[in-house]
Amino acid sequence: MTLRDRQEALVAALVAGGPLPDGFSPEPVQATAAALAQKRSGEVAKAWPALAAALGPDFPSLFTAWAVGRAPAGSAADGWAFARSLGADLPERAAGELAAAEVRFVLGPAGVRRRSGPALRRVPGGVVLQIFGRIVRLGR
Amino acid sequence: MTGSAALPGPAAVPGRAGGAGAGLGLRGVGIGWRPEISGFVESLPELGFCEVIAESLPLSGPLPASLAALRERGIPVIPHGVRLSLGSADPVEPARVTRFAAAARITGAPVVSEHIAFVRAGGIEAGHLLPVPRTREALDALAANIARTQAELPVPLALEPIATLFDWPEDELTEADFLTELLHRTGALLLLDLANVYANARNRGTSPMDLLDRLPLDRVAYVHVAGGSEHGGRYHDTHTDPVPAEVLDLVTALCERASPGIMLERDGHYPPAAELAAELSAIATAAGRAA
Repeated sequence: MTLRDRQEALVAALVAGGPLPDGFSPEPVQATAAALAQKRSGEVAKAWPALAAALGPDFPSLFTAWAVGRAPAGSAADGWAFARSLGADLPERAAGELAAAEVRFVLGPAGVRRRSGPALRRVPGGVVLQIFGRIVRLGR
Repeated sequence: MTGSAALPGPAAVPGRAGGAGAGLGLRGVGIGWRPEISGFVESLPELGFCEVIAESLPLSGPLPASLAALRERGIPVIPHGVRLSLGSADPVEPARVTRFAAAARITGAPVVSEHIAFVRAGGIEAGHLLPVPRTREALDALAANIARTQAELPVPLALEPIATLFDWPEDELTEADFLTELLHRTGALLLLDLANVYANARNRGTSPMDLLDRLPLDRVAYVHVAGGSEHGGRYHDTHTDPVPAEVLDLVTALCERASPGIMLERDGHYPPAAELAAELSAIATAAGRAA
């Protein structure tokens, strides 16, 4: 195995749910994986403050459980995909944050990119509108 | 496990005050500049120097106003890269090197620094610094990436050995021998992180003072100090906790032999200004300098 293969296998094991590569001690690698997951969750909480606040003390464990086996895509994209995965369980307080992201940006396979045209999203009790880059919230 | 401040053994570092980093102008006590504590950093009357995350700087300037104010006061600002991935088997990405060199130019830095680590592989970002195996193959990959980087840099490069919770099964060299050989091959300077020395030695069950003694201290450009905490029997170099006394003991031991600039790295859970100022004073005191 080359250095490249070994590095790929190790990163996959640490952040993307891959198997432990041959020869490594499991405990310290698992401790590292846990530390990386915690750091990732902290960065997502910073990028998605309303989502993290709405889920409160449950946020780190809920996010980390979702993130197992999913390679990091950056905190903006990770938080977005996690918020969507909550579906009807997405707290009302976090819905506006997700809608504001959805009207400004597009979440694609290559990450987050800016929308070229206007967009509209429903949120509980109203809508969020983006036009010419400005965000307007209508309703309560 | 704690070290005593009085250090016996192979003490004298060749060229005490005239080590490799002596001409860089990095003196006294510094701190890692972060946007969250920029006001605090600016308010420090005795600030020796500071560091800024290289990837956070704009490509062509201007510098954030707070950093520009520090530069006007003549305080060195050192770009510290975290995402070059010099330890990857793959060649370092040219755009990242260009950006790193630009950071050196817009800060007017006397030196720039990066880690002996890799942060991505196979298209997956690890999100943190990972150790390379201490093998000949990894030395070759690192030396090649460092040479590619140095070719574009206007100033010297200092390399920082990282904290790690695990080692690779294929390790052929000790941490000290690997580092000495890498610096010899590349001509790079050493960014010595005493918290990493402490963390690695402690987690391997060895003596931090012994590890410090074996490192190429004559290559030191400047020094990092940071806090950490223990979870599950392991010491984590968190940068979000107070600096432990054992790390300050390493500061004292080092400063008995050399007088490099020393800086605190803090990356979150920022304490009140008075507490952060007290940490800087403790570092100055440990170094035998007026607080």
